[in-house]
Amino acid sequence: MAAIDIPVVGGHPAGAGDPHANYLEARHGLASWALTVDHKRIGLMYLTAVSTAFLAGGIFALLVRLELFSRGRTIVDAETYNRFFTLHGAIMVFLFIIPSVPAALGNFFLPIMLGAKDVAFPRLNLLSFYLWLIGASIVLSSIVLGTVDTGWTFYTPYSVQTANSVISMTLGVFVLGFSSILTGLNFLVTVHTLRAPGVTWTRMPLFVWGMYATALIQVLATPVLAITLLLLCAERFFGIGIFDPKLGGDPVLFQHFFWFYSHPAVYIMIVPGMAIESELIATFSRRAIFGSFAIAMSSIALAILGFLVWGHHMFVAGMSEFATMLFSALTFLVAIPSGVKVFNWTATMYKGSIVWASPMLYAMAFIFLFTIGGLTGLFLGTLSVDVHLTDTYFVVAHFHYVMMGGTVIAFLGGLLYWWPKMTGKMHDEFKAKVGFVFVFIGFNLTFMSQFIMGSRGMPRRYYDYLPQFEPFHRASTIGSWILAVGLFTTAYTLLEALWRGKRAPRNPWGSAGYEWMTDTPPCVANFHETPIITRGPYDYHLATPEELNTGWDELEAESKKG
Amino acid sequence: MNEQNAPATYQLPPQMSTVAAEVDWLYYFIYWLSVVLFVAIVGAMIYWAIKYRERPGHKAEPTGHNLPLELAWTIAPIFILVFLFHKGFQGYLDMTIAPPNAIEIRVNAKQWSWEFVYPNGGSSDKLHVPVHKPVKLVMASADVLHSFFVPALRIKRDVVPGMYTTVWFEATQTGKDDIACAEYCGGRSEGPGGELPYEPTNDPDNPYVSGQMTGHWAMHSRVYVELQEDFDKFVKSIGDKCDAYRSEGKICPGEVAAAEGQKLSVSKGCVACHTTTGMRLVGPSWKDIWGKEESTDKGDVLVDENYIRESILAPQAKIVTGFQAVMPTFSGQISDPEIDELIAYIKSLK
Repeated sequence: MAAIDIPVVGGHPAGAGDPHANYLEARHGLASWALTVDHKRIGLMYLTAVSTAFLAGGIFALLVRLELFSRGRTIVDAETYNRFFTLHGAIMVFLFIIPSVPAALGNFFLPIMLGAKDVAFPRLNLLSFYLWLIGASIVLSSIVLGTVDTGWTFYTPYSVQTANSVISMTLGVFVLGFSSILTGLNFLVTVHTLRAPGVTWTRMPLFVWGMYATALIQVLATPVLAITLLLLCAERFFGIGIFDPKLGGDPVLFQHFFWFYSHPAVYIMIVPGMAIESELIATFSRRAIFGSFAIAMSSIALAILGFLVWGHHMFVAGMSEFATMLFSALTFLVAIPSGVKVFNWTATMYKGSIVWASPMLYAMAFIFLFTIGGLTGLFLGTLSVDVHLTDTYFVVAHFHYVMMGGTVIAFLGGLLYWWPKMTGKMHDEFKAKVGFVFVFIGFNLTFMSQFIMGSRGMPRRYYDYLPQFEPFHRASTIGSWILAVGLFTTAYTLLEALWRGKRAPRNPWGSAGYEWMTDTPPCVANFHETPIITRGPYDYHLATPEELNTGWDELEAESKKG
Repeated sequence: MNEQNAPATYQLPPQMSTVAAEVDWLYYFIYWLSVVLFVAIVGAMIYWAIKYRERPGHKAEPTGHNLPLELAWTIAPIFILVFLFHKGFQGYLDMTIAPPNAIEIRVNAKQWSWEFVYPNGGSSDKLHVPVHKPVKLVMASADVLHSFFVPALRIKRDVVPGMYTTVWFEATQTGKDDIACAEYCGGRSEGPGGELPYEPTNDPDNPYVSGQMTGHWAMHSRVYVELQEDFDKFVKSIGDKCDAYRSEGKICPGEVAAAEGQKLSVSKGCVACHTTTGMRLVGPSWKDIWGKEESTDKGDVLVDENYIRESILAPQAKIVTGFQAVMPTFSGQISDPEIDELIAYIKSLK
């Protein structure tokens, strides 16, 4: 395939400067960033944006936990508390997790891993970033101006009746949805048309496979959310009577619509985490992923099954027994591809050569935490047990183990792993590992206590609670502080690398992946000449010593000379 | 909690209903299954991470293929999953389908309180039920979504405005437990004079009352499982209050009066087409219709609260075999309490 020779529209090569120059230094000035069509720069801008959102969502999480430290009023009143947990959920889901891996790391690495110069539609890529900014601004303005207290699920009829800025919030989410659709579309076309010679479907890196599965869901499911939110706005403006029972509507219909998107969205969130996990496990075990075809196919299976299980959020919501049975059965099917992935990752380490680098610690933590998140899903898929556990802290703990223990942990591991390639600077491994220890301990303390109080009967979204739950809430809140220390340490480690970090060589981790074959940081055109790929991205036994050479020795020799 | 309750395990509350033992057995089955799988996966991971750690002279072996192993761990879980699905669904049906002899208690949920109405028309804000008797709750919401949750009974069911949801249980011992709302339903903390004071208490019956700040969490009540004679005494005492009201010619608060339904059936014109004698007019007679399997163009339906409600608000949804689709909708012309009264009246015609 000669896809690499397709002229790239926009900045490159005319406006992006020398295609062989370091992408960070090729052009300077604010406009060179604001109007860039370079997927790497857009990826970095996305990274900055979603990290800011993560910080905001995290602050609300800490405030929620702080309020729950003691019974009664601790720091804020009930209405403010309801806004805090709504904002925590909405920001984390719509502004952070959904765009985090695809839009930031995916944008940066998907074209490089395919040997392409850019994504298929670079200008659309920039548009999707600005749509994100607009959507995020609308969401944030509804924080400043309004009082959204519906929870991130906007369940009717409460969301139709409560006097607040639900409309601006949902419109913001509506715009964010377009950003998500455009990124997904871009990735699908890029994967189909811009693979370098030799990058066959079977040689495509598992990270790209994960991005591909995610993009499929984004394109197919997000429009349903858009329609649902528009209907919600129409209901509030015109009182049509779709969801509001007072007007003859059906509030349960909203839940169907909402979860028809939001359950596939769970896979928009977790499949990219799994995609990073596969890269980390392969690189730091120095061998190909065991059953990599099964890993790729299980991502696709999750993408498809994800569309068929939305009803498992509604087992006690007033659905028919038949629907309940069907959704329970389908839900159990999800366990199979998830299990296959975990087994394959673990089996990859067998007879590998395990490097205990900071990204690998996160990769192992992912297996630890995601296994807990996945197994606790069995409790919730089992109907009679779910009746007791649903809408309690057990569910809160379960999805945090999957979303944060899975996606966020993989995101942090991926950031540490690719940071040298993206910035050209090496972070301090010791500080990164210290940060990891705090994150791991803090996370487990925060959410393990939530499992126990949940199974004991503590409902979620409570401002105050009965005395028997206080010890668990205290443990959870203390855990959130330890977690915060870990996250700030990690953020500091990454930022410190920018001004104090050693120069990073081409392939600091000694990986066989395609993205490490190019410069650090990559040149504007990603590769100086079109790469011709003759082996898989994890074929350590086929890679030449030159390809696996980290480049540390050359850097050292250079610095001695200089 | 009462001492008579089966002791709480570390993870689960006391067992006070007939379904609790089965639910807990399944919970702990999944729990130990998870522990075994978790230890196997994470144990292997840590063991290999140490055993095969990178060191001079050690090299990774190229990854091979092992199709039997891959097939095994794809197929083996299916058996476990089918078993879990089967047990879970069986338990779910047990807690969904109420026995016909169940005592029926109405539950009215609103922001932010529960009200329980007993067969004799009396009502209370705490739920009293007899031990060893099946109890069926027919639940309605006046405003937004709520969810009726009693941890020790292992039951939970959303209360949805615009429809009736039901849940049933049979308590296995006397005692008390908390009733909680499990579906987020908002909150209020600003009063006319600014911020409202709030302080929780240690009184298990009223843990949140000492302030006026209220909301989802404060929608708390208690269930009292009593011996039959205590229950009868309680129901009679609230019934007596009702009798006092009735003797003054008023309706007992909370009572859904069949007599009011009868008046409505005249004032809304129902009787023009529906008799109460069994005679057939334009529409089916209401006599003995309650609880019947009615044959319609959409298949057989059970005549219950939801069916009657639908027939009033959306009469074209299901047409009884042998009748014309001529009834107009009463949507917007009849309130929820009025529908309840009509239902009570139709029930009384049995």
